Amino acid sequence: MMSRSPHAPRAKYQFVSALLFLLPGFLLLFVFFLGPLVYSFRISFFDWNFAHPERSVFVGFENYLGQINNPIFHRAVINTAVYTFFTVVAKLVLGFFAAIVLNQKIPARSFFRVAYYLPVITSWVIVSLLFMYMFSGMGGLVNYLLKDVFHLINKNIIWLADPILALVPVILVDIWKGVGWVAVIFLSGLQTISKELLEAAEMDGATPWQRLTRITLPLLRGTTVFLVVVLILGGLNSYVPFQLITHGNPMDKTHSILTLMYRATFSRMDFGNGAAISYLLTLFVFALSVVQLKMLNKPIGE
Amino acid sequence: MRKANHLRNFASILILLVGLGVVAIPIWYMVSTAFKPQTMVFEMPPQLWPNPATINNFIKAVTTDHFLLYFWNSVKVSITATLLTLTVSSMLAFAFARLTFPWKEQLFYVLLLGMMVPPVMLIIPQFIVSQKLGLYNNLTGLILVYATMNISMQTFLLRGVFENVPRELEEAAMIDGASPFVIFVQIILPLSGPGLAVVVINSFLYSWEEFTWANVNIADSANRTLPIGIALFQSEHLTEWGQVFSASLIALVPVIILFLVFQRYFVEGISTTGIKG
Amino acid sequence: MKNSKLFVFVVLLLVASFGLGACAPAATAEPAAEAPAAEAPAAEAPAVEEPAVVAEPVTIKYWHTMSDAEAAKLEEVIASFEAANPGISVESTRYAYSDFKTALLTSIAGGDVPDTARMDIAWVSEFASQGALMQLDGAMADFDAIAASVFPGPLSTNKWDGHYYGLPQNTNTQVLVYNKDMFDAAGITAAPATMEEFAKVACDLTDASKGVYGFAEGGTYFWAPAPVFYAMGGKVTDAEITTATGYVNSAESVAAFTLLKDLYDQGCMSPNLMGGGIATDAGQGTGIYGMIIDGPWMVDIYKGNYPELNYEFALIPAGPNGTSSVVGGEDVVILGGTKNAEAAQKWVSYLMSKDAQVALAQVGVMPTISSLTGDASMPAYFAIFMEQLKTAQARVPSPKWSDMDNAINNAYQRILVGEQDPQAALDQAASEIDALLAQ
Repeated sequence: MMSRSPHAPRAKYQFVSALLFLLPGFLLLFVFFLGPLVYSFRISFFDWNFAHPERSVFVGFENYLGQINNPIFHRAVINTAVYTFFTVVAKLVLGFFAAIVLNQKIPARSFFRVAYYLPVITSWVIVSLLFMYMFSGMGGLVNYLLKDVFHLINKNIIWLADPILALVPVILVDIWKGVGWVAVIFLSGLQTISKELLEAAEMDGATPWQRLTRITLPLLRGTTVFLVVVLILGGLNSYVPFQLITHGNPMDKTHSILTLMYRATFSRMDFGNGAAISYLLTLFVFALSVVQLKMLNKPIGE
Repeated sequence: MRKANHLRNFASILILLVGLGVVAIPIWYMVSTAFKPQTMVFEMPPQLWPNPATINNFIKAVTTDHFLLYFWNSVKVSITATLLTLTVSSMLAFAFARLTFPWKEQLFYVLLLGMMVPPVMLIIPQFIVSQKLGLYNNLTGLILVYATMNISMQTFLLRGVFENVPRELEEAAMIDGASPFVIFVQIILPLSGPGLAVVVINSFLYSWEEFTWANVNIADSANRTLPIGIALFQSEHLTEWGQVFSASLIALVPVIILFLVFQRYFVEGISTTGIKG
Repeated sequence: MKNSKLFVFVVLLLVASFGLGACAPAATAEPAAEAPAAEAPAAEAPAVEEPAVVAEPVTIKYWHTMSDAEAAKLEEVIASFEAANPGISVESTRYAYSDFKTALLTSIAGGDVPDTARMDIAWVSEFASQGALMQLDGAMADFDAIAASVFPGPLSTNKWDGHYYGLPQNTNTQVLVYNKDMFDAAGITAAPATMEEFAKVACDLTDASKGVYGFAEGGTYFWAPAPVFYAMGGKVTDAEITTATGYVNSAESVAAFTLLKDLYDQGCMSPNLMGGGIATDAGQGTGIYGMIIDGPWMVDIYKGNYPELNYEFALIPAGPNGTSSVVGGEDVVILGGTKNAEAAQKWVSYLMSKDAQVALAQVGVMPTISSLTGDASMPAYFAIFMEQLKTAQARVPSPKWSDMDNAINNAYQRILVGEQDPQAALDQAASEIDALLAQ
């Protein structure tokens, strides 16, 4: 992918220009990202005293082992994985079909596109509070619909009191908020597929299903890979909906990895443990990404 | 054939309308609650059209604390951070798309690392840096960090955009002795409008709703941004959903305007990022 | 080849960044380490300083989590302090309670602290144990006089390892708040005096068909069930804070949670405490909850949102040993990293003065100065809270408190969902707290 410049003698000149182009960005990254990243790596090996760092005690891998043996952490890992799985699959499927439909010549297409994107541009905090309100165990819209409109239940469900049911609003809010984004990305992918190709296939008697599975889907491979990578990263790093909707309750069984990290750091003042949790997460994300990055990098630059 | 098309259109619109309902119900629920007096907020069955309706919630939201000042700060921060992200990311993306230099691939991987790390874990070291550089308690500190946290993703997208610009144009210019800077400004950027629009929307959204960093880096109430204002408002009016939602709706307005302005470039813009088959 | 190059690059980067990271803590330590030293010049300065003060004014930063009304009153207090102390100005910043600890922690870790802060009484020992706060006894000239003027209970929340790291700026406790109209409608003439009566009234007021509950708690975190817990004779640890076994799982503690569990199972207590229900104030304000247990700030909330609500306060119903409740409130502290220790002390002294305490009392902040009890300048509704404070108990003053709170919170939730009976759940909490105390 690193194609050699056709103007070899200019290499040195290019190098200087490249330096100038790279400088502002990498300066920011070095100061505000890489430096802090390494600093918190250091913290993760200490019983860190935040007021007097010089009094911190080196504890080796203790913070990491403490988490690996902690049942609350295990549960948070499971929750994060379940959340990521359901939200990624649902967003991909729903987003794909929304894109297929939105790609047709139908009236009011722009209106629908904007409407579907509305949840995406609404802030996480707002939509999390909104879903918490809708899933209220007593006066909420969801219970009202289930009980009084559709008669599916005969008693209000206290969603947030159950460690499994409490994840329902958390997962649904992410799907609701994310489908529009996935649809737009798919839509942009669909627009690169030539109309002639699909029309030719139709002439040859291919059914809509065959056109979908034999032409559209294979041609969207790059888009799908990109989405899978980005959605998984987003899912694993999920924080706000868990924090605002369940707060880890009940019984510390509905944490995500990051809410646990946030609590260790900012509520229990245990910076070492908090840093260790984030590095465990980053390590996992990194391992996953090594594979994904290769895929991600491929379609571009070739 | 024609008939089949009509049928398909009809089915499509039907599906879209069902989807629209799912999208719209929560939003409508929020809007109608914002117009309800507090005593009606938990009424059963929920009233989708509040009667009596009130705009008191909005008045209270705007007049409490320094809501308008926070709003203005957010506007300043978000616009500047967006411009900075746009400049820095497009420069980086140009270098990665068009220039040759040592360790190019490795540097690109370092850049991508920014997409993987949860930002919350960097807060404390970032604070130390901010404090050392005199960025604590001012809006510049927010702008620089927002730009940094955005660079990776936006550079990645723009690199795709720039790589799709045909090389023929600049090769002609290079023969004429144009510098990379001239090529960047006069050829690459003008041809990448829709892609840049995507970056504008992404960066603005991020800066507009960022909360955690703003909460720690800003101590002086005169420099607070809107998410902090809303959080304060929530903590004081936690169960007053009407007021919380009216404050949230006001915060949504600029984002909607921005999106409406740029939306026609949006789909096109993403399709130029190279996320394709 | 490609991989080894990447490896070298990453190593270089790490080394370089480590250098950057490593110098940071050393540098940060400076202001914190300076703090004790800063007192020395301050002590010898006064004679020379008075004229110099005007030349170089100092600004004292004060962080807090006050409400709108309290914050507005605070500005008046600041104005009169500044008028009396030329050369010192106070800059106050308000935070949301839920984000306050984050902001404080980060500022301390970053070495740029507010000079003073008003924090939850349950946090002081936690911050003091990390060396983040300035020791006040022996450092502040009028410390002994102020300490003697306040209630001993709130004062004790500032003590850590034999020294005081703050002063009790305000205090509060929770009492029973009941909807008078609902009592009248049910033919109940007086607030329940005992826990047996309380349980009966809670069920009498309940009307499942209308979704009305006799009693509601705000959550399962310790603060919410604490008044019932203490009134029933419950204890978290022994007085020396060495063990929880035999205390948090004692017969009395178990009886307290059994009472709550029974109310919950009978549907007499709202299910909102598990999260996602109607909050206690909104529920009582709209006639859904008959009784709640809450603090003096309810006066302000109800005045603003439910002006028509006909409610009254009463003491927490008596358990086997009489009534009790939980002590709340905030302490004012001086941060260890302050560079203006002397001016900060003046400001803290002023906040602890009668003038400041009386002013803030007008917006519902209860003073800690014992001589103000029953004072004509105090709002009338303070009386019941003052009465309740006589028997109210403080939460465990330990740096591990938030973990202990969490252990009891989880036990309460296991009890409510029926995963464990009260005895088993509290046995588990006892062993978890013992493990914390052993660290």
